[in-house]
Amino acid sequence: MTTDTTTKIVSNRERLSGIVQAVGRRPADIERRWWESTAVFVIFTVFYAIVGYWLVVQMHVVGFETLDRFDRSLMIFHNEPPKLSSVGFDYPPLSILLVTPFTVIPALARSLIVVPVVSAIFAGLTMMFLNTMMRRAQIVFPLRAAVLATLGLNPLVVMYASIGARNFMWLAFVLAALGALFAWYVTADIRFVMIAGLSYSVAALTGYGSLVWFLISLIMVAAILARLGADGREVEGTTVGFAAPTVYVIALWSAFNLILLSDPFNWVTESSDVASSGGLDDFSFTEILRGTFDLVVYGAPIAIVVLPALIFAGIARRNGFALWLGLMLAVSMLAPGLAVALRVTDSPLLMSNALPILLVSVVGAIWLARSAMSSGFIVAGALAAGLLVSIPWTFSSMSDFKQQSLERAFHDAVSTGDNQEGARTLDGSIVGYDNELDMANYIRDNITDQDSILTDNASTYAVILLTGSPSTFFDRVDQSDGPWGRAARNPAAHVEYMLLSTNTSNDLLSTLYPEAAAGGDRSLEPVYANRRYTLVQVPNGYQFGDDSVRTGVDANGDGVISDDELTLDPDADTSTGTTGSGSTSTDGETEGSPDVQGGYDGIEGEEGSPLTSDADESTDTDSGTSP
Amino acid sequence: MTTTITRSLPRLSDGIDESLAHAIPEGICRTFRVMPYSYHEGHVLVAAADADDSITEHVVSERLDRPVILVKHTVNEIIEVINEAYPPVEAEVETPEARRARMQMAQMLTRSGLVTSEQLQRAMLEYSRTGDPLGDILVSHESISEDVLVAALSEMHQMQRVGLADFEPDYDISRRLPEPLARRLQAIPVAESDDTLLIAVARPLSADDAADVEEAVGQPIRQLLANRADLDQLIQRVHSSFYADVSTQYLMENYPEQSAHVVFSPVQKAVFIMAAVIIVICAVIWPVGTAIGLVGVASAVYFVVSVYKFRLTLRALGTHLETDVTDEEIAALDERHLPIYTILVPLYKEAGIVPRLVRDINALDYPRTRLDVKLLCEEDDLETIDKIRELALPPHFHLVVVPDSQPKTKPKACNYGLQLSTGAFCVIFDAEDRPDPDQLKKALIAFDAVPDNVVCMQGKLNHFNQDQNMLTSWFANEYSMHFELILPAMGASESPIPLGGTSNHFKTQTLRELGAWDPFNVTEDADLGMRLHREGYRTAMIDSTTLEEANSNVGNWIRQRSRWNKGYFQTWLVHMRHPLQLLRQTGFKGFVSFNLTMGSAFVLLMNPIFWALTTIYVLTQWGFIESIFPSLVFYAASLMLFVGNFIFIYLNVAGSLQRGEFGLTRTAMLSPLYWGLMSYAAWKGFIQLFTNPFYWEKTEHGLDEG
Repeated sequence: MTTDTTTKIVSNRERLSGIVQAVGRRPADIERRWWESTAVFVIFTVFYAIVGYWLVVQMHVVGFETLDRFDRSLMIFHNEPPKLSSVGFDYPPLSILLVTPFTVIPALARSLIVVPVVSAIFAGLTMMFLNTMMRRAQIVFPLRAAVLATLGLNPLVVMYASIGARNFMWLAFVLAALGALFAWYVTADIRFVMIAGLSYSVAALTGYGSLVWFLISLIMVAAILARLGADGREVEGTTVGFAAPTVYVIALWSAFNLILLSDPFNWVTESSDVASSGGLDDFSFTEILRGTFDLVVYGAPIAIVVLPALIFAGIARRNGFALWLGLMLAVSMLAPGLAVALRVTDSPLLMSNALPILLVSVVGAIWLARSAMSSGFIVAGALAAGLLVSIPWTFSSMSDFKQQSLERAFHDAVSTGDNQEGARTLDGSIVGYDNELDMANYIRDNITDQDSILTDNASTYAVILLTGSPSTFFDRVDQSDGPWGRAARNPAAHVEYMLLSTNTSNDLLSTLYPEAAAGGDRSLEPVYANRRYTLVQVPNGYQFGDDSVRTGVDANGDGVISDDELTLDPDADTSTGTTGSGSTSTDGETEGSPDVQGGYDGIEGEEGSPLTSDADESTDTDSGTSP
Repeated sequence: MTTTITRSLPRLSDGIDESLAHAIPEGICRTFRVMPYSYHEGHVLVAAADADDSITEHVVSERLDRPVILVKHTVNEIIEVINEAYPPVEAEVETPEARRARMQMAQMLTRSGLVTSEQLQRAMLEYSRTGDPLGDILVSHESISEDVLVAALSEMHQMQRVGLADFEPDYDISRRLPEPLARRLQAIPVAESDDTLLIAVARPLSADDAADVEEAVGQPIRQLLANRADLDQLIQRVHSSFYADVSTQYLMENYPEQSAHVVFSPVQKAVFIMAAVIIVICAVIWPVGTAIGLVGVASAVYFVVSVYKFRLTLRALGTHLETDVTDEEIAALDERHLPIYTILVPLYKEAGIVPRLVRDINALDYPRTRLDVKLLCEEDDLETIDKIRELALPPHFHLVVVPDSQPKTKPKACNYGLQLSTGAFCVIFDAEDRPDPDQLKKALIAFDAVPDNVVCMQGKLNHFNQDQNMLTSWFANEYSMHFELILPAMGASESPIPLGGTSNHFKTQTLRELGAWDPFNVTEDADLGMRLHREGYRTAMIDSTTLEEANSNVGNWIRQRSRWNKGYFQTWLVHMRHPLQLLRQTGFKGFVSFNLTMGSAFVLLMNPIFWALTTIYVLTQWGFIESIFPSLVFYAASLMLFVGNFIFIYLNVAGSLQRGEFGLTRTAMLSPLYWGLMSYAAWKGFIQLFTNPFYWEKTEHGLDEG
């Protein structure tokens, strides 16, 4: 006979009894309202897309960095052969890959209609996430609508949501992550930790700056769990679950950098997000402080109120999440200045840096509204009022904010309704893309053969994009730099034409053929040219003199490639597929001509004419474009 | 403190305090004839027919939060107020005769010193909840042996007993009573005396049942009381050949198209051979093009299978898609209405586990008198059989010896046991399983809550030895993802669910009608889930976990996993014999879901090929490999390599987090190594599909001592 047993079998309930985030013991989350989220998304996306169409297509307010990304995206499917490597290493990879669905139809990409649509979609998602956060904060619908409207009409938001810039691409994912952590704190539902982790991983490869928020969030998750009494296993498991996606994507990306560029941290040191350019001005400590102050005061004035309120709520009322949001807001305020101090940015204290500050301030205010319980409507009302007041304040500052990109062009376009083609930005750069469009139209009308135009796509990407036909070009993406270098040395064997930038400082092909780029090479007759580009025909049997074949970058700008400057080995076949570093200008809101590193085109944009080129103007291009 | 001072205390006739009217459950009130009715100086006054009975006093005082005074009242007085508080339902109230019999049994056993007052008290309490015979309760708790009970019943009913332990039956006589009747009434003819047939019975038959038996055998009968366990063994012996035939051949003969006894149907053979020939010809003529096509198809399969799993997981993450049963619902369950529940436990060469198995089944929160536990042993497994006999288990455990015949598989044993089962519901547990104690009750409540076409409730499976080594942790990761995320999402979307090997609860009658398990399919569970779905039935998930022993030995694990994969291939082949018919029966969603679920086994086959191609390419940059990955295929393959693989790793993390097993997240990050083992096992199973399709790769249990 067996004996009666009282064996302890641990049931689910018992097993989960010591777990902070146990399924089934969580506070109820808000009811899902797909229709409301969809409505918010659609309304803002359509609004920004319409405004963006007007700005980009009609007013010509668009950054060349944006055009570069769209061109790379177009090449993924429409290059000959299609090349994933067109993504390159200059930008965070997802800032290009996420654009790919929009460039599947070349005609749409060529028309630039999709440019504002992309940023509008991500801005619409951002608004949707904020709305959901407000619902979790129990903010009533009229106040939610007021906050969304006043934030959505903020001129900084409108501009960056409309001109195809990538700011909202990564900010949308950061906001998604913050929203998920917000929900996690409210519900203790571990699903939200995983959603936050996944969102941060996407954000990390869309904008490297988001890693700062990721790190803070990682510590926050662990600290909050420990404070709630979770044991070591739960803290460890949760943080592993949270961090794994971001760690994975960064590790993977570093591995790619290592394999293809022999430098695992190339993405840290050389990317457009964080690379220190040679043109970075020195800032004094006072200037950094002043720049930070200006960013907050003119770009996100509500942060001045929200930050102390979060710290007060965090310390005096033991509101842990408020304290963490306060820390995030403080970091978002200090990060631009810190980046300048550490010389890891070539876009020092640009006004675009105010955008994260503004959005984190709004998130902080939403949390304060939730924490205020029955007085939450007062906080939400104050937030809406603050955002409303800051609209004219920020808008007026956009015309003369010291560190900026296209803000003045946006301001003038909105104020006057005038096309901004040829307008100068505060740093002296020229706005617009008429020269590119002009050259692209000529090529579309006259040249259709595949791989018939040799060009350095790192400089001529805007033309390629506007043709909508990357397959027409024999570029550095097609077969990597080695074969391209050989073709550059012997173009007659490979192509019929060469497209050259008149600014020879950063165009490898123009550096090889400076006279042709200027329209002065009798052997390479220009078939079409304008101020920025020259298209020359390569005659049959054309031979480039062996002695004169010198490849590389004319780094010192003396018009001659010295032995030291020889960087491109025509026999090399690295198969890295990188597209060069022609567009290393800013952090996502660039402007001016494609030859960004050497400066912007300083020539007033005029339509080019066939078979003409102005060598003097070309010289101006080189000499008068530094910001 | 309890006293029985009764003088000058208020009486029932003075009225009942409303707050006390339902302070003691009805069953206890009626069983012990008590009723609380008033407060007096900090005490609760309880009317009692037998105010001096210590058991009554103990039971009552345990249920009230104040000291109790038992006040003697007449039975009629008490019955009257009980009926007012709990209006009687005729069928549920104990008849005077039954009460007399119960009291007689109790007195007989206590006076003879066969039970202690504690044992009697516990039995009386269980009786008050279930209404089951007191003697059966005492036997189920092993307070007395079945033989003692039979002797007592024999005395009470003035019936002769018969010992069947070493009885050698005359099969002609024993088979006169048709098997269904014999099984239902637990009765079997053992001898003939003059014109009277002597029938061994477990309990005295009712008049109606006795008449049915007489009609069936065509002559008068006389009942002889027998030990239930011995009687059960005799019935099995007498009808074993019938049971064996049914368990092996029923599905094959009645639904041949659903049986895996033929691995490839003739049409399938023709199609596969033709496809192979065409591929070979194409490969000779257009080697690169053919390779691109194959790679493209494989990439597409990868992609859709991955997207499907990811979608399911997202749907389930952080939500409760299982049929929910609350503690209150379980507490409110009236045990008098609980049905007999059959538990099928296939055992093979697992003698060492039996004591633990008995312990865990006895720990279930379900009246043992309503359990019908079938311990299914193979005839050649003498060690396990002897072990069970040695334990002399109470009669709710039934040793079932399955005759040795081919195929010797778990589903055949289950089919055998199912024929003997008496439960309205049944469930399968493996020998090493540790189900949540309330799982049976949860399943019953869930069956009530779902539509009628839900005939199966799948419990969640996980492992109790997840920390034993890396392999068990990976296994737990996998199960967490499968049972916490994927299956609940499939259940919620009414997709065909590949049932887990254990903890699937069925409506017994429906299961029988469907032909039960396919004895030729080595993943009979997955196959049965699909057959249920094809017949319009559905499976739902319940939030109750059964902990199993994860395989901690790589070789053992590979044997088990190769069987599972072989079974998936078998199942896919069986149900894809007539794809259009399947599509018609399951609908498009079910059809796609089935193929994508089974497709995961094919993905495991493809993994090593793609891993090898990637490795070779990285090491050699071989141009041929580059040429078979043109842009679109390359993009899809890259997406799966870099994104898909991570997603699958992360799904393992997500499953463990969802389950609250935070310690497993670290090992989840290393799960690609586990996939290597899975692919090895998949190939083993795939090859065995051709070489030894019905061979059951036995999993050794008991490697963990936890």
